[in-house]
Amino acid sequence: MRHIISIQLFNYGRRQRRTLSKKDLNIKIDELESSLGTIKGLEIQIGRITDEEWEEPMGPTPFPSVGTFRDWDKKLLNRYKPFYMPLCDLCCLCTYGKCDLTGDKKGACGIDQKAQQSRIVLLACCIGASTHTAHARHMLNHLLEEFGRDYLLDVALNTNVEAPHIRLVCGYKPKTIGDLEEALDYVETQLVQLTAAAHTGQEGDNLDFESKAFHAGMLDHVAMEIADISQISTLGFPKGVSEAPLAQMGFGSIDTKKAVVMCIGHNVLPSVDIIDYLMEHDLFDKVEIGGLCCTAHDNTRYDNRAKILGPISWQLRYVRSGIPDLVVIDEQCIRLDIVEEAEKIGAPVIATSEKSMMGLPDRTHDDPDAIVADLVSGRQKGVVILEPRKVGEVVVKTAMAVSPKRKEFKEPSKEKLFENMEKCRGCLECVMACPNNLPIMDAVKACAEGDLSLLSELQPLCVGCGRCESACPEDLSIISYMYAASADQCKDECFQVRVGSGAITDVEIREVGRGIVFGEIPGILALVGCANYPKGGGEVAKIAEEFLKRRFIVLATGCSAMDLATTLDEEGQNLYEQYPGVFDAGGLVNVGSCVSNSHITGATIKIANIFAKRPLRANYEEIADYVYNRVGAVGIAWGAMSQKAASIAAGCWRLGIPVIVGPHGSKYRRNLLGRKDKEEDWITLDARTGDDMYIGPVPEHLFYAAETIEEAIVMTAKLSMRPNDTTKGRAVKLSHYIDLSKKYYGTMPDDLELFVRGESDLPFTMKVELLEYLKKKGWEEGKIGMPDPTLLDRMIRRKK
Amino acid sequence: MSLFEDIPVDVGIIYEGERIRGRDMQIELGGPREDYKFELVRAREMDEIEDGKITIIGKDLDELDEGTNTAFGLFIEVAGEEIEKDLEGVIERRLHEYVNFIEGFMHLNQRYDIQMRLSKKSYKKGFTSLKILGEILIRLYKSELPFIEKMQVSIITDPEKVKEMYQEALEIYESRDARARGMSDDEVDVFYGCSLCQSFAPTHLCVITPQRYANCGAISWFDGNATAKVDPKGPVFEIPKGALIDAVTGEYEGVNQVIREKSLGEIERVQLYTGFGYPHTSCGCFEGCAFWIPEVDAYGVVHRNFKEKTVNGLDFVTISDLTAGGRQVDGFHGLSIEYMRSPKFMQADGGWDKVVWIPQDIMDRTKEFMPPEIIPKIATENDVSNLDELKKWLRDKNHPIVDTWKPEEAPKPIAEAQPQIMSQQMPMTGFTMPSLELPASALPIQGLPQGVNLKIILKNVKIRAEKVIIRAEKE
Repeated sequence: MRHIISIQLFNYGRRQRRTLSKKDLNIKIDELESSLGTIKGLEIQIGRITDEEWEEPMGPTPFPSVGTFRDWDKKLLNRYKPFYMPLCDLCCLCTYGKCDLTGDKKGACGIDQKAQQSRIVLLACCIGASTHTAHARHMLNHLLEEFGRDYLLDVALNTNVEAPHIRLVCGYKPKTIGDLEEALDYVETQLVQLTAAAHTGQEGDNLDFESKAFHAGMLDHVAMEIADISQISTLGFPKGVSEAPLAQMGFGSIDTKKAVVMCIGHNVLPSVDIIDYLMEHDLFDKVEIGGLCCTAHDNTRYDNRAKILGPISWQLRYVRSGIPDLVVIDEQCIRLDIVEEAEKIGAPVIATSEKSMMGLPDRTHDDPDAIVADLVSGRQKGVVILEPRKVGEVVVKTAMAVSPKRKEFKEPSKEKLFENMEKCRGCLECVMACPNNLPIMDAVKACAEGDLSLLSELQPLCVGCGRCESACPEDLSIISYMYAASADQCKDECFQVRVGSGAITDVEIREVGRGIVFGEIPGILALVGCANYPKGGGEVAKIAEEFLKRRFIVLATGCSAMDLATTLDEEGQNLYEQYPGVFDAGGLVNVGSCVSNSHITGATIKIANIFAKRPLRANYEEIADYVYNRVGAVGIAWGAMSQKAASIAAGCWRLGIPVIVGPHGSKYRRNLLGRKDKEEDWITLDARTGDDMYIGPVPEHLFYAAETIEEAIVMTAKLSMRPNDTTKGRAVKLSHYIDLSKKYYGTMPDDLELFVRGESDLPFTMKVELLEYLKKKGWEEGKIGMPDPTLLDRMIRRKK
Repeated sequence: MSLFEDIPVDVGIIYEGERIRGRDMQIELGGPREDYKFELVRAREMDEIEDGKITIIGKDLDELDEGTNTAFGLFIEVAGEEIEKDLEGVIERRLHEYVNFIEGFMHLNQRYDIQMRLSKKSYKKGFTSLKILGEILIRLYKSELPFIEKMQVSIITDPEKVKEMYQEALEIYESRDARARGMSDDEVDVFYGCSLCQSFAPTHLCVITPQRYANCGAISWFDGNATAKVDPKGPVFEIPKGALIDAVTGEYEGVNQVIREKSLGEIERVQLYTGFGYPHTSCGCFEGCAFWIPEVDAYGVVHRNFKEKTVNGLDFVTISDLTAGGRQVDGFHGLSIEYMRSPKFMQADGGWDKVVWIPQDIMDRTKEFMPPEIIPKIATENDVSNLDELKKWLRDKNHPIVDTWKPEEAPKPIAEAQPQIMSQQMPMTGFTMPSLELPASALPIQGLPQGVNLKIILKNVKIRAEKVIIRAEKE
């Protein structure tokens, strides 16, 4: 038998791909004879070959486009209608404007106030999601180059569901870091569509803008997941809580006798090469590497000898302390006057990302020693270096050379720091400029007269924005005064922070299952986000402690995870030391940096997938419906500041997870508030019968700006209720709601009757008094239903 | 009016997680430094006890030194029309929860091993007598378990008296356990159903019998009895077991009927003592999972806390994923550790004789209830780490399963044990995915007479596909 086979393979893919997805494959067979038959001139052209090992059938919505979940979003948005709080009544995005949109006025393009506010929400979410996506792209490109496309993903111990968001949204199961690219391509493509929708003369309906903002949020969580699981897999980060050691944070964690490198931002790559350089040259005893904002978390995940200097709000304070010998910036949340500020203390700046070059000269291709010489001599106040290896070398060499020359800056005298204080005119401009109205002027005046206490008390409340200094007609260095007034205590402060654990493992998810089903665990609380607090970071610790004591599972990320470490009990222990670092009732887990937020939503997705075996693959609506109706998770971004915080929250909303923000959060322009007084808004389907059922206002709001932590705490307890709660679960949740209401408001909740479905929901220790109360309110048993709740008609189970 | 208005401290669920550290402690009752301590509940006749009576034998709180510990006995007697002896254990186990509800009180462990602490803070608030503890317990019990009509409490701190009663208590625990373990499914008319997990696994229902604990390991038949009494409309309810269909597999008419109803027709039949055919469904929070190993024609069992890979290379997560969510999957079976102590354990499949591998931890916890001759023949993670080693172990130890293998040692599975994942995924209601599957019989190839071969000739064919999906599917 004759075999003449000629196969030509063409691969037009962007790059040679050796695994999983292959694009554009052509096979040509000129002649083939076999026992089965003869083939002549066969050409096969295949657009894409996907080698699938995932046996779960494809769900309904792989790679959803902008409008795919519009119906689902509208179900939520009809229950939680946007409540607008315009921060600005004008639109000035095109040259027709400025257009006044107050009252029923429309802009020149026809837009009204509601649509304009939602449009700004969409833009914020697009910026936020793009930021994480760009971060993920930078990370992934670098890691692909360094580790190769076939490097296996290894995200968490005892975990099969390695990427819940990618599985849920995109509908495929990545195995290697190369496989992440398809999801990232998709996210980038979608974000362009969303940004385009905000152009003048495109989308015009406020709820459609909102739905698009939700879409941006959903994409954001995919992007964050890509960024984090790629770095966890390749860089040896902890793979779960059991692997997460403690790291040190605060002024006292830094040995100022060493050269001090201060890394600001979110992208760990430059720091990795600095740490590698320190290890390779055995220089850890000569150089301290400290981080601010999320880079700090990821540095400690890479090597817990790295230090956390503090949250974003401590940037100016650190620079003014004179401690840093060199500042490295990567991306996001960097103070834009950092070069100017660093110059004042003789510290060079090295920028490492194309996204944040700060006007500095690009020296990527120059000889490292030449760059070091220019920086040490002061010929250049800073440089851009985009090649991480070179960053490592230049940073360490420069810091070590600069450090001995900076003695005069390193420990600035009190006189120097307090310079010009007596010039304060008492004009109150500083107080007016302060976002939190802190009594700065009185404190400065008192300090000038020798009483440091007022200024020292302001320090922990200050968000470090520096607007007071900008506003001051005498150009007084108020931030420096504040630091100087409390420098003596600051210097010794050293807090323990549990290193970011990354994803919640499948085993942990299963372990808490019983607790959640039986109501022994009243809820999951995630404390996330930035440090724009109304009254300092100590409030985050207060919130965390309140719920840890009540056996909630408490998770934290980013700056919140740092701030909650700064409150100590009488024995000098903080919450990380007092409470176990486990994903379980009464446990406190630092999940990691901003991009680790994807693991918090990922955990709720995994609860649906692992417990109830709800199909995960490209099955977003069903999973969101499950999380919304059943998983008592609440997010608090007490100091939410950024556009990233907006898009992270939007990703929670689409999944049905309520989010509470601090008072500054109202500047996001709208809340998503439910109306508990409107019974018709709270009708849900019973999946067992298909009947409509009134379920009471649970959870009452989807996005809520609280004015005080007391309000946030009571609201958290309330928002942890779900229609699916078992009677025991509801009893436990009601106990906390009632107790917290009594504790912080001094009174019983005034809406209790909306949450009690039957007598068995009542905490039995309070049954007698509650029944009396309910009687007065005209409560009837059974008015509120206990369905198998769903908002999706297709989830109704038809009896066989 | 609050139930506890006249009590100097607060009482509520919110105090459940409270821990009292050594330096904050006014007094420790029982605990590791005391040899004698116990808590005991006894059912009495209505006329045998005086409702509300609280007796302190020995020193009261204000007579004990701050920061010390004392021998301790908590003896509770209850009576009521519906109270049977069998409920003693259930009532007793509530003590842990109830004592923890008290502000400034902590309770650990149970029975003869209890450790309780009162905080200095609550003592200073006026919790200066153990009578208050008795008072709170009586109110809590009577308000949550209305079938308790009368209750009297004796609290003992006199070491001699504690020691004396401790011995009695031990005997009572022992006879209670013997009775519980000796009780068989045949001697009761009702089982209990628990639908608590339906919120997560909508087609799952636990059938709780004297010899088959709930999968989570938290609810015994006695617990079911008490819970159903308190809240008959609640998630734990009576199942009249109905006529016996098969004693070996454990199939009952009444059970099938309830299952059909509660699973909305998804599950037709359930056989309680088998992992094949119509096994009891698995929720999401089962303590352990039995998994069939076709290579040796027998079961391994793994539990939640086992973090390594089992003998067949799969970990608990993977194994449990194959069966969780209220499904019936041949050879993969969620269960409680207590069920492994039951004589009915996998009875239809051969019981312990069909078990070849368990983690050491399970071995330690169930050993006492296993047939003694099988114990040394079952391997743990300390003995073998893969299937080849397992086969060798079984042969060396002469495990009974070896006799069932064919002479050429190719074990024949008693049933097809590979999980059929495709067909067992929960349907995605409302969506049908288009597929191009031709039934085998539709191919003309099968109709060809013997000896005739089919030849296909393709010439100048161009096939263009936008996307080809290659998917591994198990047969």
